[in-house]
Amino acid sequence: MHELGLATEILDVALAEAARHQAKRITTIYLQVGVIRAVEHEHLSFMFDHLSKGTLAEGVKLSIEQMPVQVECPSCGVIESAAFAWECPKCKGNEIHIMGGDALDIVSIDIEV
Amino acid sequence: MDAKDKVKVDIKRSIQQSADDISKTIRSLFASRGIFALNMISSPGSGKTTLIEALLSRYEGKGNVAVIEGDIETEIDADRIRRHGVNVWQINTRSSCHIQPIQLLNAMEQMDLSDTRLLIVENVGNLVCPAETSLGEDKRIVLLSVTEGDEKPLKYPLIFKTSDILVITKTDLLPYVRFNVESVRQAAKVANPKIEIFELSATTGEGMPAFLDRIESFGAAKRPVS
Repeated sequence: MHELGLATEILDVALAEAARHQAKRITTIYLQVGVIRAVEHEHLSFMFDHLSKGTLAEGVKLSIEQMPVQVECPSCGVIESAAFAWECPKCKGNEIHIMGGDALDIVSIDIEV
Repeated sequence: MDAKDKVKVDIKRSIQQSADDISKTIRSLFASRGIFALNMISSPGSGKTTLIEALLSRYEGKGNVAVIEGDIETEIDADRIRRHGVNVWQINTRSSCHIQPIQLLNAMEQMDLSDTRLLIVENVGNLVCPAETSLGEDKRIVLLSVTEGDEKPLKYPLIFKTSDILVITKTDLLPYVRFNVESVRQAAKVANPKIEIFELSATTGEGMPAFLDRIESFGAAKRPVS
């Protein structure tokens, strides 16, 4: 449900940047999305296709980079994990601390000027 | 088209920047007025409103508590709280699955919060989206009732990672349901090693004093910034 709000914000940011650079078209939007954010990629792209119709971003490609979480384990150090972890992926210990994985950033856009 | 007509523009900003900016404004409002604010989050039916009513009994007659209720529709919760004679405001979020910072700011502007020391915000019943949005609160409280099942921290890690306090509610029903308190405690601590955990039943009052004392001690520690 909230993908609609996110798609609207992404489009607003991208269109504002494109206007600042007098772009004719936005071809790609690069996003970083943490794996523990509840963002459904297909749903986001679907919303985006609709919202961008008739704008400079019509037909734009969404490039989404999944950002892992860092699992900090007292025995094994810091290990990256592609999903929220409940134990150390290496030693299976549960005295771990989870860091990151909650990014929701627009990194850059490719435009035609 | 010529290759040189293609340009990469670096942006690197959070998509929720505007919401985050409003949250910062709210946080500084809380700081300047010395308001201690709680953001209460849980699934629908975990007992947020009942816990707030129990909290209000501690502050009865002191007149410095305000409550903001968030629901998709209706004034039902605000009406319940109003019976306790406190300052209450209902936000109907309509199409939004959580209270947006701008909705909270608008509500605060319409309320008289001049004497308020404790502001309790009850978010829309939902374990997903409210976890992603700061309302500028001092403490975030997640409630988990024993009837919901003990796997919830595993299924919805973000809300447990971002909360300061976990309240396990409806503990009077423990004899009737399969709910492993220890596994919930352990999973919540993995998500957030600093999380404080309380077990209580707002209906029987069991476990309530420790929770109320803790909230009171947090509130007492906050004074207006002059």
